[in-house]
Amino acid sequence: MTGIKRHHDGAKKENEVKASPFMPMFEQFRDELDQHHDRRERIIKASRDITAASKKIIFSLQRVRTLKAEIPEKIAKETRDRAEAMQKQFVAIVPDLEGINAWRYQRQISGGIQEYMEAISFEHYLRTQTLITLEEASKLLPDTIDLTGDDYVLGIFDLVGELMRFAITTIATTGALPGSTSEPGGRDVLIDLRSLRTSFQALDTTSCGGTGLGKDVEKKMEVMKTCVEKVETAVYGLIIRGRERPKGWVPDLADDRGAPVESY
Amino acid sequence: MADGMINARIFEDLQTKIDEDADVRDQIKVILQTLERQGRNAQSILSRAHSTPAAHLQPVIASAESAIKDEVESINNLAGIASNSPYYKYNNLWTRDVQNVVFAILLCGWLGGMAMPNKPAEPGKLLTIEEVGEILNVPVNLKDRDAFHLTIEEYLQSLITLIEELARLAVNSVTLGDYARPLQISQFVKDLHAGFQILNLKNDSLRRRSDSIKYNVKKIEDIVYDLSLRNLVPKST
Repeated sequence: MTGIKRHHDGAKKENEVKASPFMPMFEQFRDELDQHHDRRERIIKASRDITAASKKIIFSLQRVRTLKAEIPEKIAKETRDRAEAMQKQFVAIVPDLEGINAWRYQRQISGGIQEYMEAISFEHYLRTQTLITLEEASKLLPDTIDLTGDDYVLGIFDLVGELMRFAITTIATTGALPGSTSEPGGRDVLIDLRSLRTSFQALDTTSCGGTGLGKDVEKKMEVMKTCVEKVETAVYGLIIRGRERPKGWVPDLADDRGAPVESY
Repeated sequence: MADGMINARIFEDLQTKIDEDADVRDQIKVILQTLERQGRNAQSILSRAHSTPAAHLQPVIASAESAIKDEVESINNLAGIASNSPYYKYNNLWTRDVQNVVFAILLCGWLGGMAMPNKPAEPGKLLTIEEVGEILNVPVNLKDRDAFHLTIEEYLQSLITLIEELARLAVNSVTLGDYARPLQISQFVKDLHAGFQILNLKNDSLRRRSDSIKYNVKKIEDIVYDLSLRNLVPKST
């Protein structure tokens, strides 16, 4: 406000504009909303960091060439270090996700959790050639952070993509699918991928409607089918043409590569 | 078959979870159907305020209070079901209907209804979020436990709807020959506007809606100006 108004005799005029009687109420609202937005921001940042770290772990794990064996120490050390750093990030946002806020900020933390799911389920598969359960995955998160069924499922969808890459890279570099059907009860990656595909197709998400699982599942189902088919095509190529080609030849994946590069 | 890869229970449990969630959503939707119907009823009663002189408002208020009482019953049914799940898991299903009830309560209170034990009914008053919570019989701004409650955002959204409604009422008051009420509304809305201005809002629906308050302020100012220009503003003694 500009200067003080005065009457003709110099006396101060009453300040005619009274403050709104609702200010104390709105000040309280402001404080509450500020806290909420700050929390939200912190969680979004953490989710981004967790996503980035998980992607790096997955990248490292893609260098593994064995199945159903311990991860080679060099790679395991890298992933261990990254996983520890990630745990710290999770622990840091535990206070923000306490009690009623766990579901309040679900959408903000969901991305990070799904990426994390992808990483730990990939690592679990490489060591055990099985699908990690929701309970086992939950244990790898701090106690108070919830792993929802939605995030678990969506994370596993993404796992299929990584398994596809793992399968194709292994075919390209070793001339064979990871895993083996030679022993009784043995399975290769393609058999496992097909199991996942069947299980997912059997999941009835029609009741989810437009929320959470419902809208993402359709898209991811398409991607998953494509992944499985890529591996099937690669195996076919291996069998039909692999015998005539030197090791290192990459099967024809028409949709996303140029001409195959021969290596000797 | 490759049952070694996937423990069959995994997908069974997932399906169970999905089906249970669907059940809860269905139960909530049943209550919301009733609440929506009751909401329309309350709105239609309250809209009579635009064509009823202030002196004859009491029957409208009484009728509205009765309609609101029905809504409160539905809200309590909703609270019963909703409190069995995390609040923020399903709250987007009911928030619009809850805001409608809160708006009805705020408007009825402003018109002079919703008298409470420790607060007599008088026109032009704003019910606080706590008072609305008391009327609805639900907690407000709940932080220490996870149960159905009224949020600050819902209260603020309903306030904005109240402002829009009062802007319309200001116009219609003049039509009814009531030249004092627009002044009352003008001061009230300006006071609320000042409050909204100190909030740090982010880019969400609350921010977008609160941006429209200033247009209502202007609309009401124009009415007051029209009145004063024609010397129709009641002189205060």
